[in-house]
Amino acid sequence: MKMKKFIALGMVGMLSAATLVGCDKGGTTTVIDDGGDTGTTVVDDGGDEGSTSATTEKEYSEDEIINWTMFSAMPGSEINDGNDIQEIIAKKTGVRVKETWLTGQTAAEAVGSILASGDLPTFIDGGDGMKELYEADALVAWDPYIEKYPNLKELYTDYEWDMFRQEDGKIYWANVFNNTYGESKATGHNDEAFWIQVRVLEWAGYPEVKTMDEYFDLLEKYYAENKSFTDAEGNTINIIPYTILCDDWRYFCLENAGQFLDGYPNDGSVIVDPKTMKIVDYNTTPTSKKYFAKLNEEYNKGIVDKEFATQTYDEYIAKLSTGAVLGMVDQNWDFNYTVTPIFATSGLADLGCEYVPLGLVVDGVTEQRWHTYGDTVNQSSGCAVTTSCEDPDRAFQFLNDILNQDIHDLRYWGVEGVDYLVDEDGLYYRTQEMRDKLNDTSYKASHVCNYSYMPQWLGTSRDGKNAMQPAEQASEFYAGLSEPLANCFKAYNAGGYPDMIGSVEEDVNATHPWFPMWSWSNELNNDTPGGVAWGKMGETKHKWLPKVVMASDFEKEWASYMDAYSACKPEDFLNEAQGVLDDRMAAYEATK
Amino acid sequence: MANEADQNFNTEEAAVDTGINAEAEVYGNTAGNYGQGIAEKRNAYSDSAEYIEPQVENYAREAYEHKFSLTDQQIKDLSKKKISKGELKRQSVLLIISAIFVAYGVLFYYLPLAGWIMAFQNFKLKTGLLHSKFVGFDKFKFMFEFDMFSHALETSGSIFTAFKTWVNNVVFVRTIRNTLGMGILNLVTTFVMAIVFAILLNEVKNKLGKKLVQTISYLPHFLSWIIVCGIVHDSLSSTGIVNDLLRWFHIVDDSYNFFAHPLWFWPIVAFSNVWKETGWNAIIYLAAITAIDPSLYEAAEIDGAGRWGKIRYITLPGITPTIMILLVMNIGNIINAGFEVQYLLGNGLVQDVSQTIDIYVLKWGVGQNDYSLGTAAGIFKSVVAILLIVISNNVAKKMGQESLF
Repeated sequence: MKMKKFIALGMVGMLSAATLVGCDKGGTTTVIDDGGDTGTTVVDDGGDEGSTSATTEKEYSEDEIINWTMFSAMPGSEINDGNDIQEIIAKKTGVRVKETWLTGQTAAEAVGSILASGDLPTFIDGGDGMKELYEADALVAWDPYIEKYPNLKELYTDYEWDMFRQEDGKIYWANVFNNTYGESKATGHNDEAFWIQVRVLEWAGYPEVKTMDEYFDLLEKYYAENKSFTDAEGNTINIIPYTILCDDWRYFCLENAGQFLDGYPNDGSVIVDPKTMKIVDYNTTPTSKKYFAKLNEEYNKGIVDKEFATQTYDEYIAKLSTGAVLGMVDQNWDFNYTVTPIFATSGLADLGCEYVPLGLVVDGVTEQRWHTYGDTVNQSSGCAVTTSCEDPDRAFQFLNDILNQDIHDLRYWGVEGVDYLVDEDGLYYRTQEMRDKLNDTSYKASHVCNYSYMPQWLGTSRDGKNAMQPAEQASEFYAGLSEPLANCFKAYNAGGYPDMIGSVEEDVNATHPWFPMWSWSNELNNDTPGGVAWGKMGETKHKWLPKVVMASDFEKEWASYMDAYSACKPEDFLNEAQGVLDDRMAAYEATK
Repeated sequence: MANEADQNFNTEEAAVDTGINAEAEVYGNTAGNYGQGIAEKRNAYSDSAEYIEPQVENYAREAYEHKFSLTDQQIKDLSKKKISKGELKRQSVLLIISAIFVAYGVLFYYLPLAGWIMAFQNFKLKTGLLHSKFVGFDKFKFMFEFDMFSHALETSGSIFTAFKTWVNNVVFVRTIRNTLGMGILNLVTTFVMAIVFAILLNEVKNKLGKKLVQTISYLPHFLSWIIVCGIVHDSLSSTGIVNDLLRWFHIVDDSYNFFAHPLWFWPIVAFSNVWKETGWNAIIYLAAITAIDPSLYEAAEIDGAGRWGKIRYITLPGITPTIMILLVMNIGNIINAGFEVQYLLGNGLVQDVSQTIDIYVLKWGVGQNDYSLGTAAGIFKSVVAILLIVISNNVAKKMGQESLF
């Protein structure tokens, strides 16, 4: 009997082991907790002497330091208690903030449960749940403190601040991203694009690819001669020329290219015609139809991945990570942060598997706005102080302090001498050894403290030379490029990703003052007829767009799709959008 | 039953009270006399109760000693019996324990039902349960879109076509169809498979082999749905084992995309359920089979029954009561056709057949901050579940089988 039990136990063990092996592709978040934060001594490498010598500041002792908390409705990795830089910042500002992140729920669910429990953190970025927090009276208004603290006031212009005002006329949060100080140093394209592997361009001799037809032409030609390739480990990988992600909310990779192909920027849910200031529905434009007809044609030719409609996000990332996929439409943030490090470690980067963005249009369109120049203000979420904070003034003072240049440098560059060096011109740089160290997750958890969901700057540092954040420092950017990628940039004479796209260079805030409409449509719910229509349109498109692409008779399928689409009453949605656009333009005119 | 008894008691008491009132009026008695009157009447009443007590007590004792069950009349008499103080004292521990359970039930099952009020409000977090605006049945109207039905009825003139358009066009109605459809399919397949599997396993004579098969077959029960769905998704993908085999045998030339065709979705879900739960569900039948008296099998053998005969005339009838009870319980669960499987395996192409009521609640209720809508859908689900279980219970009763209540 005992023997049998052992066998059974062994089998359970094996099964669960097999299960674990099965999921080892998932996230590997290693948080090393090295005990409580009391009495932790910071190893002072003497590196911060340089920065402290400039200003003689008060150093807060452990008793004076206030411990606060922050919740961000985004997945993130927690840092260790006693984190080196967190301690330095705590000594300089007298505040230490413990950050927690979203785990396994949606933002709205997490915020809902925080509100229900009544256990509010001191600071919060509720993401999509921001409105709920406001409606539950859980937030402290920024208004009196914006005037009091110059660093906070500096974050936005009066017009931009007004965009954050809620129905009661007050400001409760400020978005911390996409905010450029001084001259922009951006080298990345953190938006949507038609992406293509560098090796395809290299193979074709770096041709000009401007239209959607040229793009698919290139993919077809490359695929005709290269059906598979051998990766660095000697595996033969079958090439998938083009795939489309349409898993749940990530189906924008399929659905919204129509607006860009017509030359409009990413308003997300609608096109705004800047001449007439009227809302245009991009789902029904001739360009969109042309785009889906092209996808349909390529699908039937076998260029588009047969499995695109049923793949999950994980499967999509897995495909991309093998280097098999030559091209796709996606947002940079949706794949590149995962895929680029994998390419770098697996040797695929040296084979030219890395992606560059192309700014495509349909025939007859000359300008395009795939890349957004200028800061996009997303007024629908941001960093907020909650009513559970016993001393809001101190909290806002802290938010102000961490925008001081010395602390901002600490947050993003780190400790001078340890994480970066300064050359004779005053430019910051890192050695390869430092870069490798900063790529190490466990070192990062014990050393780096970004406070990444608190107010911050992009662009040029107050010293006028360096970038606010290392990723934007030109020398750092070029030092990290693989050879094929560097060759590609050289061939197109591009200084970075935005130059590869070649969008119209204009400050989006000056030319498109309403921008972006998605900050409104993301917040829609069943309360209004437009919101209900928006929900139904989404469901209909989820079903019909893949069907249209996979159809054997495109025209017939498109007609059925249009019938189903108009049954959702898109006009309710569009009328509401027009109203919002008019309001935003009126507000803009008022400030002029 | 309990309610009925309560009601009887109340009406009797009311009758007594009216009697007293009548007397009080006729004689114009003072308050003191009035009280005395009650006491006297009450005494008379309890005297008559005590009169039947010894007899009733005997029922229980005799039943216990001679192991026979009581008749309906005897049970009725027993339940009418008044409980004396001594009895209360003797059973005080039991009473305290049951009081705890009653309190638990009230606190965690009945009080939360107050939240149902949300379904009739336009609930907002800011205003809360107490101050949100009441909107009557608006949320239900939004879910069912009855005007779609009546409009279709007017235009087509036939109830059948109108119903068809209604189901095809209204998301919530479609989710009801999917939930019931998948629920029934899952129930039938898992149920039949578990019984067949248990009977087959019972016929295995090699003890080690039997235990081995049983252990392995119930292991999938302990896997979470997310892992099972991952396995199913992988094996049915273009490079998965199923397509490899199909290509191997030249049944298809190019891999077949199972998840792109709405027709395949329900069978895939049912298969996943069968794979995961068959072994586990069979355990209870195996236990029921071991409880069958071996002498019955011997007798059958003497009468010339082979294996098949024994299964048909001994094993199956032997586990019928277990089957019926489980069936009744599982029918109430049809409406819980699942959330994870459909959520994880579904995609845009098959959403018309994949979405269940639970997914609707998540997408249109929680996802849109419309908690009222979610609650309304939840209420609907509860009502359907109760209906299903009452109907199936009555059917089982009519058929002379075991029933839940």
